[in-house]
Amino acid sequence: MSPARAIAAGAWRNQIKTLAWNELRRSLFSRRSLPLYLLVAMPLVLMALRAVFLPEAARVDPSKATVEFAEVFLFFLLRFIVFFANAVIFVRLFRGEILERSLHYTLLAPVPREVLVLGKYLGGVLSAVLLLVPTICASYFLTYLPHGAPGLQLMVSSSGLGILARYILIVVLASCAYGGLFILAGLYFKNPMVPAILFLGWETLTPFLPAFLKSLSFVHYLVSFAPVPVSLGAFALLARPVAWWLALLALLGSTAVLLFLAGRVAARLEVTYSAD
Amino acid sequence: MSTPSIVLRDVSKFYGEVLGVNRVNLEIPAGLTGLVGPNGSGKSTLMHLLTGLLRPSRGEISILGVAPDRPEELFRLVGYCTQYDSFPHGVTGISFLRYALALQGMGAEEADQRAWEVLEKVGLAEAANRRIAGYSKGMRQRIKLAHAYCHQPQVLVLDEPLNGLDPMGRAEMIDLFAELAAEGRHVIVSSHILHEVDVISDRVVMIHGGSVVAEGEIRAVRSEITSHPIQVLIRCDRPHAVASRLFELSHVVEVRIVDDGLGLLARTRDAGAFFRELNAIVIETGVDVETVAPADESVHAVYDYLIGESAGGGAS
Repeated sequence: MSPARAIAAGAWRNQIKTLAWNELRRSLFSRRSLPLYLLVAMPLVLMALRAVFLPEAARVDPSKATVEFAEVFLFFLLRFIVFFANAVIFVRLFRGEILERSLHYTLLAPVPREVLVLGKYLGGVLSAVLLLVPTICASYFLTYLPHGAPGLQLMVSSSGLGILARYILIVVLASCAYGGLFILAGLYFKNPMVPAILFLGWETLTPFLPAFLKSLSFVHYLVSFAPVPVSLGAFALLARPVAWWLALLALLGSTAVLLFLAGRVAARLEVTYSAD
Repeated sequence: MSTPSIVLRDVSKFYGEVLGVNRVNLEIPAGLTGLVGPNGSGKSTLMHLLTGLLRPSRGEISILGVAPDRPEELFRLVGYCTQYDSFPHGVTGISFLRYALALQGMGAEEADQRAWEVLEKVGLAEAANRRIAGYSKGMRQRIKLAHAYCHQPQVLVLDEPLNGLDPMGRAEMIDLFAELAAEGRHVIVSSHILHEVDVISDRVVMIHGGSVVAEGEIRAVRSEITSHPIQVLIRCDRPHAVASRLFELSHVVEVRIVDDGLGLLARTRDAGAFFRELNAIVIETGVDVETVAPADESVHAVYDYLIGESAGGGAS
C-alpha cells in the first residue's frame, strides 16, 4: 500500500469510528430513542406476564420452555421486534437527517460518501445489537423463570447457552442484513416505512412460498441458524434447509450488495430539502 | 505559478424543467467576493454547486483544482455556511464543533482546543455548553459560521451570513471576513442586501434569474454598463463654470449643482471620454478641484441599472 493510501485508510478508519459513535448516541441515547425502547419492552412485558400467569401444570417440564421460546423467537421476536427495531434505526440514519434538515453538515465533512454510508451503517449495527441482544437474553431468561431451579439450570447448561448463542447470532445477522436493506431504503425512498412494511409482508409469507421465492427473503436464510426446529403450520411449503455456510454467504453477500448500492445512491445525493 | 482559483465553466443546473442557474462562467480569485442578487436569483444554488451539495446538470467546477464530487479533498479546503437554520437534534455548541473537527481527522484533545478557540472568536464561548436549539437567531448564525470556519479552510462560502446578526455582530463578522480575505483565503459572501456586499466585497458577482449578469471589481462592473449613465461627483470651487462646459459634451445627459453649492453631479454615457475631457475643462477654466469620484459605484446602483425595476422588490 502506498503511503498516501495508508494515510487515507487511517483517516477513513477514524472517520468511520466517529460516525459510528455518533449514530450510536443518536439511536440509543437521545429523546428520539423512546419508541425503540418501547418496542423492545413489548416482548419483555409479554414474557413477564407469561411468567406470572403460567399454569402450575405447565411449569413442571422446563424442556417445553425451549420449544416455546423457539416459536416466540421465530414468529414474534425475529419477524416483528428485530425487523421493526432495525427499520427504525437504519431508516433514520439518512432519512432522519433529511427530515430534520441537518444532513448537509454530514455531507460537508471531508468523508467520501461511501465511507459515510459505512460509518453510519456500522453505528446502526452496533445500536441494533446493543438494543436487541439484551432483549433476547432477557426474554430467554423470562421464558425459563417460571420453571424454577430446574428451568434455570437448563438455561445455563451448555446446551441452553449454546441455544441462546445461536439466537444471538441470528439477531446479529438479521441486523446486518436488514440494516443494509433499510439504509438503502432510507436513502432512496421519501417514505421508506411503506416499502419496509411491504417487505415485512413478504418475509411473513416466506413459509408459504415455493423454494425459488423463499430464497429472496432474509428469514429463509436466518432460520438456517435456528437451534430448535419449529412447525410452520399445515399450509407451509417445505423446502430443503439451507446449509449454514451458504446461508451466511447469502446474508453477508446481499448485505454487501445493498451497501454498495447505498454508497452509489449516497454519492449522487443532493441536498434539496424542499423537495423532501 | 498563478494562484489557484475557483473556476466554473458553462455550469447549468436544472430542477426538472425549472432552471436553477444557467451557463455560468466564472473565475473567482482569492479575496472577498460578493455574490449578489434578489431572493430566488440562484445564489444558493450556485453555492450548493460549489460545495457539491448539488451536482451540475452541465459544465465543470473546480475549487482550487479539486472537483466538488471529491468531498474527501474538497472539505479540507472549503467551509460552507448554508442558509438553512436547522441543526442536528440535541447538540450543544461545543459538541457540534467537536464532531465536525473529529470528522476532519483531529484527535479529541486537539478538536476540543480548536473548538473553544473558534467559539471564542465568534463570541459564543459562554454559550458553548448550551443546546443550539435554545440559541437566538444571531447565535445560531454565529455557530454556523464557526462550523464553516473551524477547520481553517482556504475557501469560505457563506450564504447570507449576516442574517439575524445585530449591528455590532455584523461589524464583527465583517471584520472577520476581511481578516480571512487578507490572509489570502477565498471568501465568497452572498446577500440580497446590497449595501452589505458593497461594504465588504473587493469584487462582485451579480446574479439574476440564474444567470451571471455582471462580475468584476465594483468600479469595473459599473464602467461596463455603457448603456446606462454613470454619475460623477466633482467637488470644486466654481461648479457653474464646469457645468456650462460639461453641457456641451454629447455624452453628458445631466448636470446638477449639489445642495451646498461646492460641487456638481454629472451623468455621462461614456465614462472614459468624460474623464479625459473633464481634465481639459479643468485646465482651461482653471477651477480648483477638490475631488472627482463616481457617485454611484455602490452595488445598489449597478444592480438597479443591470436588473431594472423588476428586481427592485427583492433588494432592500
